Amino acid sequence: MTQKQILIVDDDPDQRLTIRLPLEAVGYQIHEATNFDEGLVAARELKPDLIILDVMMDSATAGFQLALSMHSPDPESEFKEFKGIPIILLTAIHSTTSLRFAPDEYYLPVEAFLEKPVKPEILVATVRKHMN
Amino acid sequence: MHLADDSLSLAEADLAYSNDWFIRLRWIASAGVLAGALFVTTIPKTGIPSAPLWIIGTCILLYNLTFSLIARHARASGGSPSAYRRLAYAQMILDWLAITLLVQFTGGIVSPLTFFYVFHVVIACMFFTPKTSFAFTFLAIFSFTTIVVLEYFSILPHYPIIAWRNYRIYVYQDPLYVTTVWASFSITLIILTYLASGRSERLRHREAQVLALSETLKLNSAKLQALNDNARTVNSTLELSQVLNHLVTNTAHVMRVRACSIRLLDKTGKQLEPAAVYGLSQEYQGKGPIELAHSPLDREVLEGKVINIPDVRQSSLLQYPDWALQEGICSMVSAPLMGKSKLLGILRAYADDRDRFTSDDEAFLSAIAAQGSIAIENALAYQTIETLDATKGAFIRVFTHELRSPVSVIRSLLQTVLSGYTGEINPQQRDILDRAARRVDFLRKLIDDLLDLANGRAPQTSADLKAPVPLNGVLENVVKRFELPANEKGLTLEWHGDPPGGECLVWATVEGLDRIFNNLVSNAVKYTPQGGKVRVALNRAAKEAVVEVADTGIGIPAEAMPHLFEEFFRAPNARSIEREGTGLGLSIVRETVNNLGGRVSVQSEPGVGTCFTVTLPLAEAGS
Repeated sequence: MTQKQILIVDDDPDQRLTIRLPLEAVGYQIHEATNFDEGLVAARELKPDLIILDVMMDSATAGFQLALSMHSPDPESEFKEFKGIPIILLTAIHSTTSLRFAPDEYYLPVEAFLEKPVKPEILVATVRKHMN
Repeated sequence: MHLADDSLSLAEADLAYSNDWFIRLRWIASAGVLAGALFVTTIPKTGIPSAPLWIIGTCILLYNLTFSLIARHARASGGSPSAYRRLAYAQMILDWLAITLLVQFTGGIVSPLTFFYVFHVVIACMFFTPKTSFAFTFLAIFSFTTIVVLEYFSILPHYPIIAWRNYRIYVYQDPLYVTTVWASFSITLIILTYLASGRSERLRHREAQVLALSETLKLNSAKLQALNDNARTVNSTLELSQVLNHLVTNTAHVMRVRACSIRLLDKTGKQLEPAAVYGLSQEYQGKGPIELAHSPLDREVLEGKVINIPDVRQSSLLQYPDWALQEGICSMVSAPLMGKSKLLGILRAYADDRDRFTSDDEAFLSAIAAQGSIAIENALAYQTIETLDATKGAFIRVFTHELRSPVSVIRSLLQTVLSGYTGEINPQQRDILDRAARRVDFLRKLIDDLLDLANGRAPQTSADLKAPVPLNGVLENVVKRFELPANEKGLTLEWHGDPPGGECLVWATVEGLDRIFNNLVSNAVKYTPQGGKVRVALNRAAKEAVVEVADTGIGIPAEAMPHLFEEFFRAPNARSIEREGTGLGLSIVRETVNNLGGRVSVQSEPGVGTCFTVTLPLAEAGS
C-alpha cells in the first residue's frame, strides 16, 4: 500500500512540526506549505489524500477562504479537482466553552475542526477518520 | 415697559368687573327713582310732577337692562378691553344725564337730589383717570348751572318741592341764594374730584407696583426653577453630547430667546469648535470654527467676562458679523465656560431684537454657564475614562491574542514529545515535561480569562451583536456541560428552568451569557465536596430574569466577601482546594453582567454553601 499524502498549510513552522511529527510517526507522508498560494500550488502538484489547514495565515480568514475555494459546490470551479479531498481546519479561535464552530455542510465545507493546541492523539484519530 | 402693560391689563379687567357692579347698583338706583315717583304721587303737598319721575325711572330701568345684556354678551365673547371701556363711558354719560334731569324735575337749585352727584363723582374717580373724572365733574357743573340759570330766568319751569296751598318758595330766583348754593355745589364737586381721583390714582399706582413686583418675583422664581431644572438635566447624564444639548436647549427656553450655542476650545486652544446648538440654521452653524486671533469678543469672554452685544451691527468684536445679521441675529450675550483647571469654551444666547439682554440676563447666563461647566467637565472626564478603558480592553485583546498562539504551539510541542511521537522518554524527563505542560495550561487559562474579561468589558463591540437570547436554552447547555464532571465527582446537579411565562428572552449575546453561567456553575462544581448539590434555577421577576446558582460547597469566608469580584483575587479556602486558578472568573462574571445591564449578588456561609444570583433585564417584545 502506498503511503497516504497529507498537505499541511500553516505559516507557523513550529505548529507544522507538531502536526508533522505524530502523523509521520503513524506512517503518513507529510508535505508543507506556508500560505494560501503555496498551498494551492502544492495541492495541484501533490494531489494529497487530505489537507490540514490553519485558519489564520496571511489574513485572519485565509484558511476559511482556501477551504471554501477547494470545496466550492460550483461544478465549473477552477478548484473542482480538489473537491474530493478532505480538509481539516485548525482553529485558534478562543474557547473556554463549547460554543464553537462545528463543521457545516453549507457554511464551511470542511470535514473537521481541530482546536489548537492540538492533542496528538486526537489529531491522529481525526486524520484516520477522514482519510479516504 | 412691562409695568405699564400689565397695569393697563389689570385696569381693563377691573373695568369689566366694575361694569357689572355699576349695573347691579343701577337696579337699586332705578328702584329708588320709581319709589320716589310713587312717593310724590301720594303726597299732595309737593309741586314735583310724578310723571317725569316715572319716565326717568323707567328709562334707567330700560337702559340698565340693555347694558346688562350687552355686558353678558361681551363676557361670553371674551370682550375686548375697548368694548368694556365704551360700555363704561356710555353708562356714565346716561347716568349723568338722568341725574341732571332728576335734579331739574325735583326743584333745580333747591333739589335734595343734588347731593347724589357726589356718588357719580366718586364712581367716576374710581374707574376713570383724573382727567376724565374732572371732565365729568365739569359736565355736571355745566348741566347744573344751565338748569339753575334757565330756571332763574324762568325759561325752564321750576318745580317746587313744597307747594302747599299758596305757599311757595322763590329762593330759586334769589341771586344770593342761587350763587351761594351754586358755588358750594361746584366747589364741593371739584374738591371731591380732586381728593377722590388723587387717592384713586395713588391706589392704582400701588396696584401696578404690586403687580410689577409679583411679576418680577414670578420671573425670578421661574429662573431659579430653570436653574434647578438645568442642574438636574445636565447632570442626569455623563454623555457629553447630551449634556451640551440639554444646556443649549434649556438656556434658550428659560431666557426666552431665539437661539443658544456652545463652542468648545479645541486641543490647540486657538479655535472654538461648534459643540451644540439650538435654534440656528444649518448655514449659520456651517460657518466653521472661530479663531480666537480674529474674534476679540471670544478672547474677552475667555478672560472670564460676560459680554453683552446689544447691537450686532454696531459691534466690532465679532469675527463673522455679516453671518449673524444674515441669520437675523441682532443682539447676543456670551459667558465663559470655565472648568476647575482650564477654560472649556463659550455659552452664547442670541436674540432677534436689539438691546434684548439686561444685566439680569448676563448674570443668569453666567450662572447657567457655571453650572454647565461642571457638568461638561464631568462628562469630559468620563469620556477620558471610557476611552482609556476601551484602549485598555483593546490592548488586552490584541495582546492576549498574540500570546495564545505561541503558548498553544508550546503545549502541542510538549504533548508531541509526551505522547512518544519523538521516541521514548525516561520517567524523569516525563515528569519535567508534565510539569511544564501544567504550567503552560495555566498560562493558557489565564490568557483565555483575560480575553474574556476584556470582551466582557467591551460595550461597543458587544452592543452591536446583542439580540434577544432565550436564557433557558443557554442555561440548559451550560448545565449539560457540567453533568459529566458533576457525576464523576458524586454531586447532584439540579436544573429548574421552566418559569411560568415561558421563554425568558434577555438582550444579550449567547457568548456573554455562556461566559457568566459557565464560570458560576464551574465554580459551584469545583468547590462543592462529594455528595453535595448544585442547583441552577431560572425565575421571572417583574421585568427581569433571575438566575440562581446555589451549591452546598465550602462557602466564602466573610473577610473574603468584599474582594470576591476583584481581579486576581482568590479566597484562601478556594486556593486550598485548587492551587492554580486565575482569580478572574468572578471578575469576568461581574463585568459581563454589568455590560448586559444586569446585577450579580452573592450569599454565602462557610461550610454550608454559596448562592450567586444574577438578574438580567428581560427583552420583551417592543422593548
